[in-house]
Amino acid sequence: MKVKFLCIIALSAILFACNTPVTESEKNGSEQSRKSESEDSTHVPLATEKKVELKREGIFMFYVGAFEAKKMDTKKNPMLENKINIALDSISGDVIYGHSVVAGNIRPFQGTFNLKDGMYTVVAKEPGDNKYDGVFTFTLSPDNGTLNGVWTSNDKKLAVSERSYDLKKTEFKYDPSLELDGTYSEVYNSYNAKTEQHEQITDDAGKLNASQVELTSKDVENMYRRDLEIMRNAIYARHGYSFKNREMRYFFDTQVAWYIPVSTDVTAELTDLEKKNIELIKRYEKHAESYYDVYGR
Amino acid sequence: MMLGLSTLKNKRKYSLLVLLSVYTYFLWLMIRITLQYFPAHDDVAFLSIKQDYVGMWHYKLAFFIHVFSAIFVLLAGYTQFSESLRKKNPKMHRRLGWFYVIVTLFFAGPSGLIIGIYANGGTSSQIAFCLLAFLWMLFTLMAVIQAMRRQMSSHRAWMIRSFALALSAITLRAWKYILVALFHPKPMDVYQIVAWLGWTLNLVVAEIIIIKKIRS
Repeated sequence: MKVKFLCIIALSAILFACNTPVTESEKNGSEQSRKSESEDSTHVPLATEKKVELKREGIFMFYVGAFEAKKMDTKKNPMLENKINIALDSISGDVIYGHSVVAGNIRPFQGTFNLKDGMYTVVAKEPGDNKYDGVFTFTLSPDNGTLNGVWTSNDKKLAVSERSYDLKKTEFKYDPSLELDGTYSEVYNSYNAKTEQHEQITDDAGKLNASQVELTSKDVENMYRRDLEIMRNAIYARHGYSFKNREMRYFFDTQVAWYIPVSTDVTAELTDLEKKNIELIKRYEKHAESYYDVYGR
Repeated sequence: MMLGLSTLKNKRKYSLLVLLSVYTYFLWLMIRITLQYFPAHDDVAFLSIKQDYVGMWHYKLAFFIHVFSAIFVLLAGYTQFSESLRKKNPKMHRRLGWFYVIVTLFFAGPSGLIIGIYANGGTSSQIAFCLLAFLWMLFTLMAVIQAMRRQMSSHRAWMIRSFALALSAITLRAWKYILVALFHPKPMDVYQIVAWLGWTLNLVVAEIIIIKKIRS
């Protein structure tokens, strides 16, 4: 009797297990950053002889800084601060052309300007065919290298309908030696009410520069998934990738001084070393994501 | 008096049922883990972070032998430690016993020793896993020798030790789950800890069981 009973338990256990497909928990939360988001980058005015003209006048430059929310709907989970890059591309007559790079979007704008005492006052509109388009109104001082003003959205129902900015003239150049300074920082939107804590990015994230050092499994096997993600995305950040992913954007926009968003697809710019490291880090990220806190190894 | 005896019996039955259910649940988890590698994948789960070694044929061979053989030794948990089963059907006990011994000594044990050499977590966990595999085979061998010499209480003690080490497959992963949930350690730090914790505590429990059994 008992024998039968035990055998049935054993047998049913096996059968049950066989019928259950092994589901790898693949929450592809960190799959961003490699895909090109070309759908959002409508045609950006390219270099013309006008650009040269602007360059001569010392205007053609990136103006980079915080893009801070002024009017917002807190219920819609607004991003309080992004890093914006306003690039002035060309001038034709009294029309100024440029584009902005922010939050994984490149948007062109064009507008009119007044020049008075070396200060340009510009009102420039984005095309208007994107939900997040609006109008930039700013003052540009090429001599001081500053650009400041406000941006208002066309759609007033957006999470943020007005932002202000106070930008500095900045030059962008890919530099593989740029490092994360290893400061502890909180991960955006990771507040855990139970433990009353934010998830932390640790010093490990910036210990090795994945744009310069060929990583081995020994280097990455004892790292938290979040640190690996930061380490990998630092590669993209050095190339000026503008992050769509909120958490990565929050980190690089607000914590990394050298970071400048210039492009929404940097795949072609990656070095062979970087590609190799990205593949290795991703492997460990994926493993950590699927197995770190589950029953198994 | 009669009533008291039957409730005691029921209580025993009940706790045995609970124990078997828990064991079955963990066995089911282990089968799921095993099936991840079937049909022989070398880029999934644990192997995805062993890419430095999967190129070595002996590692790969040992890994798959270990995964697909070790799962069977756990089945011994259902039959070999039941006194009534052994008394009723000693032939079956012996047959299943030999199956456990052969799988352990010729497949799961040696393959465990080989993959132990390449264990994650550095020298400390490499020693832990190799020692585990070595002791597992040693205890199993001792148990067979004692059975053949008809030293039944000694056979029983060595088998309890052997199976305690076989159970490390389950307990190691359980410790990892608990430590991660409680302390959120770095992945290789927790690995180094459970490489030892996963089987040494089992041996302590095994000795307690052996002492208790000998007393009674």
